[in-house]
Amino acid sequence: MATSIESLPPPGLDPEGLDGLLQAFPQGRLSEIVGPRSSGGSSLLLALLARAARNGVTALVDASDTLDPAVAARAGLDLRGLLWVRCGGRLPVAWRATDLLLRCPGFAAIALDVGESASAPPGMGVRLQRAVANGESMLVVRGPRHLLGSAAALVVSVRRVRARWIGAPRPLRLGGLVSEARVVRSRSDPGLTRLGRAWLLEWRT
Amino acid sequence: MIRIACLHVPDADATVQSALLDIALRHSPSVEDVAPGIVFLDLRGLGKLWGGEEELARRLLQAVAERGWTARVGIAGSRAGARFAARAGEGVTIVPPGRDAGRLGVAPLALLDLGPEMAARLARWGIRTLGELADLPARGLAQRLGDEGPRLQRLAGGEDPTPLRLWTPPPVFEESAECAWGIEALEPLGDLMAGLAEALCARLRRDELTADAFAWTCRLADRTVHEGFCAPAASLADPAAAAAMLRASLAARPPRAAVEGITLRAHPLRAPKTQPRFDEPPGPSPRLLTAALARLSGLVGTSGIGAPELLDSHRPDAMQMTPFVLFSSRNPAGVAVRAEGRSPEARTELISGEARAEINQGKILAVRRMRPPRPARVTLAAGAPAHLHAGGLAGRIVAGAGPWRVSGEWWTEEAFVQDEWDVELGDGTLCRLARDGRGWRLEAIYD
Repeated sequence: MATSIESLPPPGLDPEGLDGLLQAFPQGRLSEIVGPRSSGGSSLLLALLARAARNGVTALVDASDTLDPAVAARAGLDLRGLLWVRCGGRLPVAWRATDLLLRCPGFAAIALDVGESASAPPGMGVRLQRAVANGESMLVVRGPRHLLGSAAALVVSVRRVRARWIGAPRPLRLGGLVSEARVVRSRSDPGLTRLGRAWLLEWRT
Repeated sequence: MIRIACLHVPDADATVQSALLDIALRHSPSVEDVAPGIVFLDLRGLGKLWGGEEELARRLLQAVAERGWTARVGIAGSRAGARFAARAGEGVTIVPPGRDAGRLGVAPLALLDLGPEMAARLARWGIRTLGELADLPARGLAQRLGDEGPRLQRLAGGEDPTPLRLWTPPPVFEESAECAWGIEALEPLGDLMAGLAEALCARLRRDELTADAFAWTCRLADRTVHEGFCAPAASLADPAAAAAMLRASLAARPPRAAVEGITLRAHPLRAPKTQPRFDEPPGPSPRLLTAALARLSGLVGTSGIGAPELLDSHRPDAMQMTPFVLFSSRNPAGVAVRAEGRSPEARTELISGEARAEINQGKILAVRRMRPPRPARVTLAAGAPAHLHAGGLAGRIVAGAGPWRVSGEWWTEEAFVQDEWDVELGDGTLCRLARDGRGWRLEAIYD
């Protein structure tokens, strides 16, 4: 039986790869990317911002001031359309800045990178979820662990599988990182959380 | 009766021209900016005001001489006549009314500012002077050149009915306020600034303009001056948004002493009136975004907010913050175009060829930079890092690659050189270490 052209994914889109995972992040909802350091969580966040940047301007609230713009540009993020808020390690300021940005509709995506020592003020999850629900923006919080309770509509957990070194027997350079992402909560598509569903992602240096 | 004066300063540049226009405008309300060093003045009705054409010409020469330049003035019944008179004679040359044709007979054709095609055509006919052009048969000229022929012939004969293309000075959008008692607190100073911003925005809206930058100068009680500058994300003429932005900027950099006088200037910009395109992604409202940025500046400081820009350097973490400006596909450089900053094309060039090939493929391993890099203690084994201790990060190194030498700018006083290692700790953390003359540092963590 012939397959309708409209039913096929656009060229270059791999529904089971990174694009399939990025599509799961809902607009107008609060999402979380959780995982320890060197798990690939920040790489996933950059890929998500680069994808959202095709639809408009994006904002990154950087609690610990760790974004590397050169890497962000290589990941496909248009730096001219990125509003970077550097909080210099002040986490409460980062939460307030995110809340403030959500009151300005029109951003394709707003991301908050809380850094390593993460905690959220009481009720912040619900406050952010209500603010983002009124608009078309996507709000993503990146942290080492799940912070915002039931307010998050999507929670993606990332873990490191292995580092990829180039050169044998002695490594000559770091080639990349292989990480595994699992959806641990999805309100819009509970099927994503079914047991065994995982995305194996290979990040290159 | 048409009377035109030509004020001419040979070999003038843009600075001289600006001064000439200023001088001309003080003597006549109708002034035309012709070319560097040449300004026309309409003298109709000014004779009694200045005591005659000769007196007016003498005053013009004197005003120019006070600036240190030597000028010539020609007065005639047409632009071509006045220009020729100014070029031909020294000082003041006045062509009596009705005598333009006679004087212009020997003037070169170049005085008419012909296009290259017309100039070449007349040159082929052997016409070199205005007199020769004026003597051509009018009917034949019209048959060969159309309407342009008789028009040029009339100009060559000293008939110039076209009014001057009036030059008006660029408007200055500036408001000032005096406060002799001195303002020390930020809140009343913000209120004063908001009042000035409201007046400026009203003037901008009246002229259908917006502002893409505001600058202020405060005269302080300690006899010093406090200056500031802020630029909205998109050009605006909304007083509330401008006031919020100015208040935040003042809070970020308050004056050192009581303010006795304040001047606020806006940089005007003619905002294009176009509808947004259907294929263009919607963006934040400029008014709301400006207000949000102003409040964010209050939270994180003006230096902590903006768009990152890569610098043309191999120095690690070579980047700078630039003001965040809304941009569109039609105006990639931003709605509020500014002179500073690198063009988008130039920025793209900063990314190496290998990196360009990877762009938009995603799947790039992110780096979390330590700012500033954390001092680290590294134990070596056989010349390679074996154990790391840096702040909250410690552990045995199970894999690593390096050293990779990074160096550059040795021709400046800010030369840099360091050796870099990529290492993997026992708990799986991937780090980039660097060592230079000052010791080891943790530069970044891969994530």
